[in-house]
Amino acid sequence: MVMLPKVNELGFFEIRLESIGGLGANLAGKMLAEAGVMGAGLNGVSFSSYGSEKKGSAVKAHIRFCDIDTRIRDTSPVERPHVIGVFHENLSKTINVISGMHEDSIVLVNSRKTPEQLKSQLKLKAGIIAVVDATGIALQENNRVNMAMIGGLFRLCDFLDAEFMKGVIRKSLEKKYPAAVQPALDTFQRGYDEVKFQTFLLDEGDAMPSFVRMDTPVLGYETQPLGGLITNPGNSILKDLSISRAGKMPHFADDKCIHCAACDNVCPDFCFVWEEQPDKKGRPQMFLQGIDYQYCKGCLKCVQACPTEALSSELEEDGYADEHRVAHKFHLAI
Amino acid sequence: MSIDIRKETVKQGTVEQRIVYESGNEMAAYAAHQINYHIMGYFPISPSTEVAQFLDLMKANGQHDIVLIPADGEHGSAGVCYGASAAGGRVFNATSANGYLYMLEQMPVQSGTRFPMVLNLVCRSVSGPLDIHGDHSDLYFALNTGWPIVLCRDPQAVYDMNIIALKLAEDPEVRLPVIVASDGYFTSHQKRRVMTFTHREDVQKFVGEHPPEGFQHVLDRENPITVGPYMNEPDYINNCYQQSMAMYRAEDVFDRIQQEYAELTGREYPILELYRMDDAEVAVFLLNSSAEIIKDVVDQLRAQGIKAGAISPNIIRPFPAKRIADALKNVKALTVGDRADSYGGHGGNMVMEVRAALQQYGNSTTMVISRIYGLGGKDFYAEDGLKMFEFAIDAMNKGIVEKPFDYHGVTAGDPSKAPKRVLEPMKYEDLKTGLITVTPDEVTGKVNVRIPPLRSLTKKPKRIAPGHGACPGCGIFSGLELFFKGIEGDIVALFHTGCAMVVTTGYPYSAHKATYIHNLFQNGAATLSGVVEMFHERKRRGELDQYGLKDDFTFVMITGDGGMDIGMGPAIGAALRNHKMIILEYDNEGYMNTGAQLSYSTPMGHRTSTSNVGKFQGGKVFHHKDTAQIMAATNIPYVFTGSEANPQDLVRKGAKAQWYAQNVGMVYGKILITCPLNWLSEDKDGSDIIDQAVNSCFFPLYEVERGVTTITYNPEEKGKRVPVGDWLKMMGKTKHLNKPEYAETLREFEGEIERRWNMLKAKHENPYL
Repeated sequence: MVMLPKVNELGFFEIRLESIGGLGANLAGKMLAEAGVMGAGLNGVSFSSYGSEKKGSAVKAHIRFCDIDTRIRDTSPVERPHVIGVFHENLSKTINVISGMHEDSIVLVNSRKTPEQLKSQLKLKAGIIAVVDATGIALQENNRVNMAMIGGLFRLCDFLDAEFMKGVIRKSLEKKYPAAVQPALDTFQRGYDEVKFQTFLLDEGDAMPSFVRMDTPVLGYETQPLGGLITNPGNSILKDLSISRAGKMPHFADDKCIHCAACDNVCPDFCFVWEEQPDKKGRPQMFLQGIDYQYCKGCLKCVQACPTEALSSELEEDGYADEHRVAHKFHLAI
Repeated sequence: MSIDIRKETVKQGTVEQRIVYESGNEMAAYAAHQINYHIMGYFPISPSTEVAQFLDLMKANGQHDIVLIPADGEHGSAGVCYGASAAGGRVFNATSANGYLYMLEQMPVQSGTRFPMVLNLVCRSVSGPLDIHGDHSDLYFALNTGWPIVLCRDPQAVYDMNIIALKLAEDPEVRLPVIVASDGYFTSHQKRRVMTFTHREDVQKFVGEHPPEGFQHVLDRENPITVGPYMNEPDYINNCYQQSMAMYRAEDVFDRIQQEYAELTGREYPILELYRMDDAEVAVFLLNSSAEIIKDVVDQLRAQGIKAGAISPNIIRPFPAKRIADALKNVKALTVGDRADSYGGHGGNMVMEVRAALQQYGNSTTMVISRIYGLGGKDFYAEDGLKMFEFAIDAMNKGIVEKPFDYHGVTAGDPSKAPKRVLEPMKYEDLKTGLITVTPDEVTGKVNVRIPPLRSLTKKPKRIAPGHGACPGCGIFSGLELFFKGIEGDIVALFHTGCAMVVTTGYPYSAHKATYIHNLFQNGAATLSGVVEMFHERKRRGELDQYGLKDDFTFVMITGDGGMDIGMGPAIGAALRNHKMIILEYDNEGYMNTGAQLSYSTPMGHRTSTSNVGKFQGGKVFHHKDTAQIMAATNIPYVFTGSEANPQDLVRKGAKAQWYAQNVGMVYGKILITCPLNWLSEDKDGSDIIDQAVNSCFFPLYEVERGVTTITYNPEEKGKRVPVGDWLKMMGKTKHLNKPEYAETLREFEGEIERRWNMLKAKHENPYL
C-alpha cells in the first residue's frame, strides 16, 4: 500500500485546485482522485465548488486522500491544502489562491514566470513554488491545459501512479478520439517532466497568514437590506472579468473603424465605449472610442461581426489590456 | 484519526460486490438502472437534475429500459409518476427544493390513494432570494405528506437506501410512496468509494423481479376500479387512519428490510445511527451529511475525556420517537441542529419532535438546546460541530440551558461595508432619445416604425451593466440589449429563473441598472401582471404623482425557453387577460442554467444532457415547440420573432412591442440566441449560427400584428436559403445529424421545418390565416 507523505489531524492529504470554468480543473480533480482511489488503493473524496457562476468564472476543486481504513466524513471545502494547483496565474489578482497553505505546502502554478516572480505575485511568505507552462505545452501539443496540469500534479503527488493515469487517459479517449490519445499522453508527460521547483523558507519570527473561512460573507444581518434586496444595483461594474479571457482578445484599430456599431450589437459584455462628437459636417454623431477590457471575456464575437479590419483577434500579452483599456464613463455615485 | 470505531464489527455480506467511485446522484441513478424501473417522470432542478441525466446517458448506451419522461414542470412530473404508479409498474423520480414544493399538492394524493413509488429528494434550500445549495427546508415540507422518509448520509447510503426504499414502498404492510433524502451537493456531488451489487439480478432478486401481486391497478379490464373517489366525512378520516397505521408499521418493516439487506451486503442501516452513545453525557442530534462530520468531533472530545456521542436517524417518517427517547435516557444535555427553521416555532422541526419524544416517554431531565445551522448550503465544518457540543457541555456544567433557541453561523456584518449606491439612476432623457418614432396607421390598423442607423442608438445607455457573469460569447445579453434599443423610456423588468437571472444578480451584486424582479420560472407572467395592474391602479389613485413619472413604464418579462415550458399556463393566462406588458423569450434550445437538459424547444435530434446521442438513441426524439404560434393563438395584439443577426429587424420589433404594450395589451416575442457552452460551438460564431438558423428557415423572422402575419425577412426571396445541414454542422450538439446513421432523423426534422415554413408563407399571403 502507498504511503501519503503527510496528513492532517483527520488523516487527510488535501489538494485544492484554483481555476476558471472551462479550463478543466473539475475534470482534472476527478481524474486525480480516481487515480488515488481506483489506482493507488487509497480512500478519497473529490468535489467542486458550485455556484451561479458560469464558464470563465473562478472555480475550485477539492480532493482529499487518506488510507483505505480511514472513514471520510468531512464534506467541507479544503481550507488547509498540502498541494494547490493554480490553473491560471491571473486568478491571484482577484482571489487569494494560496489561502490556508502551510509553510511546507506546494503551489503549482501554470505560468511562464519564475518562482521568484510568482512568490511576489502570490504574496507567498513561505512554501514550495512549482511552475509549469501548461498553457504553452498545451498549445504546442495541441491538447488541453488540464492535461499538462495533471502531469504537474502527479509529479507533486508521487504516491500516485503515473502509469495508471496514462491508462485512464488512453481508455477514455481511444474509442471516441483515437487521434487525441498521443497528444494527451505527451502533454501529460511534459507537464510531469517540466515542473520546476523552488523552496522558500519562512523568515525567522514570521508566521504564515491565518486563513479566512470560504463561507465568510461581506454583509451580515445588521447590514443586509431586508428581503435580500439589492439597493445599489449596477454595482456589477465593480467586477473585473478579465481573467475570463482564455488567451485571446480583440484589438481595436481606430483608423480602420467606420463606427457602424456591428460590434456593439453582438457584444455580450457591453465592452464598447462610445462618445458623441461632431462629425465632419459638425453634426453630433457617435464614435467608437475603444474597448473596456475590464469586462471583456475574449469571446471575439465582435471580431467576427466587424465589417472592416478595425477589430482583430490577437493573443493576449501581459499588460496590453491595462495599457489599452478605454474605460466606460458611468454616472458614478461614489 | 477518523477511523470508524465500529469497523471491526462490520460484516462483509454474502452477495458479490464491486467498488465504484461516484457521487450521490450517480448512485441514485445507478441503483435505479439496476432495479430497471418502468417509468421515470422528471423535471430538471439543481442539484437533483443529474439523476435523470445519468439515466439518459445509460439509456443511450442501452443499459436499461426505463422510460424517461421529461415533464412540463415538477407538478407535471408528479402527475406522470402518479398515473404510472396507478397503472401498476415501478416508478421513480428525483427532485429538489422549489421543484418539490411545486409538486407538493400531489404528494398527499399519491400517499392517500396508496400507490407506491420512490422519489429521491436531493435536499436544497427553498427560498425567496434564490439559493440553490443544500439545506433541509424542502425536506421539512415532506414531513406531513404521508410518505415514509429514509435518509442518506453519503453516496453509499444513497445507493443502498434506493434499493431498500422500493422494497419498503411495495411491502404489503406499507403500500406507500417513499422519499429517499440526501443532501444536495454535499452528498449529491461529492464522489466517494461506493460498494455496489456486481450483478443487477441480485438487486432484482432482493426487491423482487416484479412488484408484489395482489394489488389492484388501472390496467386490468376484468377488475375495473375507481381511483380517487369523492370522499368527504364520515369516510375520509378512516382513510387517513389506514394510512397512519401503515406509516407506523413502516418502522418495523424498514428495520426488517435493512436487516435482510445487511445480511446480503454487510451494511447496516439501523433506525437510529448511534455513535458512542452508550455512556454519553452530552450528545448532538443532526440529520444526514453533517451527522457524519460530527462523529470526528465525538472522537476528538472522547480523546479529551468528555463523554460525547452522536445520534442521527436513518428514517424520520415514521419518526422513531421511542428509540430516540431510549437512546437519550442518560444524556444530560443534547444539542439538536436543524438545517431549516420552522419560523416562529422556537426551533426547527427535528428539535420539536425530539422534545415531544422525550416528554412522551417521561424524560424530563435531558436538557435540549436548539440551533438552526447550515442554511442555504452554508458549510458545516468540524469546528461548527464542536460548537454544537460546546452548547451542550455548557448546559451540562451550568445545569441550565441559557439560550434554548438560536441560529449558529450568522454574521452581523461590518457597518462600514454596508451597501452604498454605486451608480446614479439612468437619466430619463438619455433613455427617451426621440430617435425612434412609432405612428399608428389608421388605414391599415398597424403601426409604422422608423429607426435611425444603429450607430446613433449607441448613445442610449444599456439597461444592463457590464460585469455580469455569463459565459464568454453568451447570446442572451446582446440579444436583450438589441431589443431594449428599440424601447424608449423606462422599463421595469421581471426575469424568470434562468441563466440571465443567475449571472446578473449574484448577491451582493446586480447588473440591472433599472428596477428588476425575479420570480420562479413557472410564475413570472402572473407576477408581472400583478405589477402592471398595481401600477395602473396606483397611478389612477394618484399615489404615483410624488415620483414625477414622465411616462408609463414599459413592463417586460424576460424568460428562457424553460420558463415558457413550466410557465406556459401563466403566460397564456396573462395573454388571455391581455395585460399591458411584454414577454420576451430568449430561446437557447434547452435548460442551460441547470446543465443543458432538453426543453420542449430543443429541436429533434439535438444532443442535450437528457437527450444523449448513443447507439440506442440519437438526441431528442420529438419536435421543437412552436411557442410563437401558441402565443399567437391567444389573439394578443402583437407577436414576433427576432435575432441578433438581423439587428434592424429586432430593434424595429422592440419599438413596435413597446407601442402595443403601452397602448393595447400583451406582446410576446421570441429571440433565438446562442449558448456556445452547451451548443458545443465556438464562442465567436454565435451570430453566424443564428443567421444560419434563420436562413435555413428553422427560425423564420416574422410578426403577427393584430392577427395578420408578415414574414419580415424571407431568405428565399433574398437568395440566402441554406440547407438545414449547413446550420447543424456549426454546432457540436448536432454534428452527428449529418452522418448517414441519423439521415432518417434529419429528414424528419427537415420535413417539419418545411411544413411549418410553408404554413407561415400561407399566413403571410392571407390575412385571414
